[in-house]
Amino acid sequence: MRVLVVEDDAEMAESLKASLAADSHEVELAGDGETGQAMAINGSYDVIVLDRMLPKKLGVSVVRELREQGVSTPVLILSALHDEDHRVEGLNAGANDYLGKPFSTRELLARVRSLWHGRGREPQTRLQVGDLEMDLLARTVKRNSKKLDLQPREFRLLEYLMRHAGQTVTRKMLLENVWDYHFDPQTNVIDVHISRLRSKIDRDFAHSLLHTVRGSGYRLEA
Amino acid sequence: MRPSLALLRTTTFRLALAQAGVVLSFVVALLIYIYFATVGQLIRDSDLLLGQEYASLERAYAEGGIRRLGQEVGERAAREGPLLYVLAESDGAVIVGDFQHLPAAPRDTPQHIDFELPNSDGEESGEARGLIGRLLGGPILLVARDLGDSAVIAARIRRVLWTVAVLGLLISIASGLIASWLANRRAEDLSNTAREVMAGDLTRRAPVRGAGDEFDTLAEALNAMLDRLEQLMQTTRTAGDAIAHDLRSPLTRFRHRLESALEAPPDTEADRAALRKALDEADRLLDMFAGVLKLARVEASSNWRFERVEATAILRELVDFYEPAAEEQGLAFANNIDDALVLRGDVGLFTQAVSNLIENALKYTPVGGRVEVRAVRRQDGRIEIDVMDDGPGVAPEHRERVMERFVRLEGARSTPGAGLGLSLVAAVARLHRGGLHLRDGLGGAGERKGLCAALVLPADA
Repeated sequence: MRVLVVEDDAEMAESLKASLAADSHEVELAGDGETGQAMAINGSYDVIVLDRMLPKKLGVSVVRELREQGVSTPVLILSALHDEDHRVEGLNAGANDYLGKPFSTRELLARVRSLWHGRGREPQTRLQVGDLEMDLLARTVKRNSKKLDLQPREFRLLEYLMRHAGQTVTRKMLLENVWDYHFDPQTNVIDVHISRLRSKIDRDFAHSLLHTVRGSGYRLEA
Repeated sequence: MRPSLALLRTTTFRLALAQAGVVLSFVVALLIYIYFATVGQLIRDSDLLLGQEYASLERAYAEGGIRRLGQEVGERAAREGPLLYVLAESDGAVIVGDFQHLPAAPRDTPQHIDFELPNSDGEESGEARGLIGRLLGGPILLVARDLGDSAVIAARIRRVLWTVAVLGLLISIASGLIASWLANRRAEDLSNTAREVMAGDLTRRAPVRGAGDEFDTLAEALNAMLDRLEQLMQTTRTAGDAIAHDLRSPLTRFRHRLESALEAPPDTEADRAALRKALDEADRLLDMFAGVLKLARVEASSNWRFERVEATAILRELVDFYEPAAEEQGLAFANNIDDALVLRGDVGLFTQAVSNLIENALKYTPVGGRVEVRAVRRQDGRIEIDVMDDGPGVAPEHRERVMERFVRLEGARSTPGAGLGLSLVAAVARLHRGGLHLRDGLGGAGERKGLCAALVLPADA
């Protein structure tokens, strides 16, 4: 897919371009806010990765104006300022995701993919990955028609994984989206949650759905 | 600027001047009141009396002519009393009366006059009020009243009041000047201290005279501020040294790994392993930086938006979040959280603070141990969140120190973490006007006392 990277630090921009290109995306670069905004309006991109501190026009203003002009391309803001206030400001301006610097490349790639997949989704009442089915209204989960008994927190975790089926989701994404926690636990809490969930959905079945992506996170895939 | 002029511009002097103005206005008002109450009343009474006398003599003149009038005047003048009479020819020559000369020339209509009484020696001996007029056909009639002592007293009161007013004004100005000079000197002390501190001597303190006045209060406040500032500077300096020290070893390892990977013969597997380790090292460094920055932001107390924090829900959620990890570690994880605990603060910071406490407990409690989270509303209305374990605990003498940043006690070096956890909790507690207290915990087997970290925060009013 086509990704526009708006970043004024040339070295950073090249590194982002290389990583995204390696993940088989087509990447174009803009060095300041105004150029980035013009390119976003005229080009057809699938995802925009936008630095917050940009010359000529700040990232937040670029997003706000893009949204006002009816450009709905998903935007991921990168910023060294990533406490709650700044994050909320960015998301309120119309950004779809917010990633604090420094970040790992894997984290960025996972989020870019997630943004692309998350586009234009209808509100769903049922989720299905392979023979795993989730009924969001009845709050039940079945695998191969066999009912699975999940705790509420396991249900929420599985729901997120199913909504992002086929993509790698990082621990940080899970923390932010399932628990709304914006700090890094030092302990392996997330791994334990995942292994518990895995024992419920995968243990009695020959084919595993929940995979660990080494060094990155997890992926639910049929 | 000349110092004398500067003194005139001080607040103290202006206040003294304003006060003098008020005092002076009061004295003038008092003067006017006393004047009307004494002299004014006397004159009004006299004028009434004189009018009656004049009228009765005028009637005598109308009935019996100049002879009858002369007789009346002669009789009345001879009587003892404050009233005095003179009858004179139209040319002013005195016919009969109390004195030999008319004190003033008459007009055609009767007229009130004030004059000095001539005594027998021709000297003046007091004030009098009179009514003088020319009667039909030319004779001049004067009826007067000796005002005597009361007029003298009134005049004396007037003089005293004027003296007091003028003296009061002068004293006010003088005391204003002295007060502003004194205040100026005290203020100068404070400014000097501030200037010296600005010049870089953070150990300077403003002199406190022990008078307990507002300048002492100000000096004490200034000194307390300087103490806090110096302490912060000290903390920052220590933290800077600690950061430098703590960063040096991971950075060195980081560099060493990359260097040896480069120097070794190319080997994809080994290179990748070296890169992975370098990456881990870099992540740890970044975590430390993030921790330091967050702590700095909390300690700077900058614009946090405080809102209603549903502590009960957040705590139960956190317990739920950590429960599997605790079980996995073979720990009994209990909780006892009161309903409807609400406080005012920053949700993110509160959540992270409690999470840090729980992680600490999980990290330091050995397998088979117990961890418990308890939250209550105390008698004093504050909310206390206790995170207790039966681990090795912290000796009382180290408890203050572990809340400082980067302090990790012996034996903790091998566990992950930058040593910022408790200092962040303490900083969050301070930001919320609460506190973090460490005491003995659940008390485990043998020597183990356990640790209880008590986070005490004000409840939402």
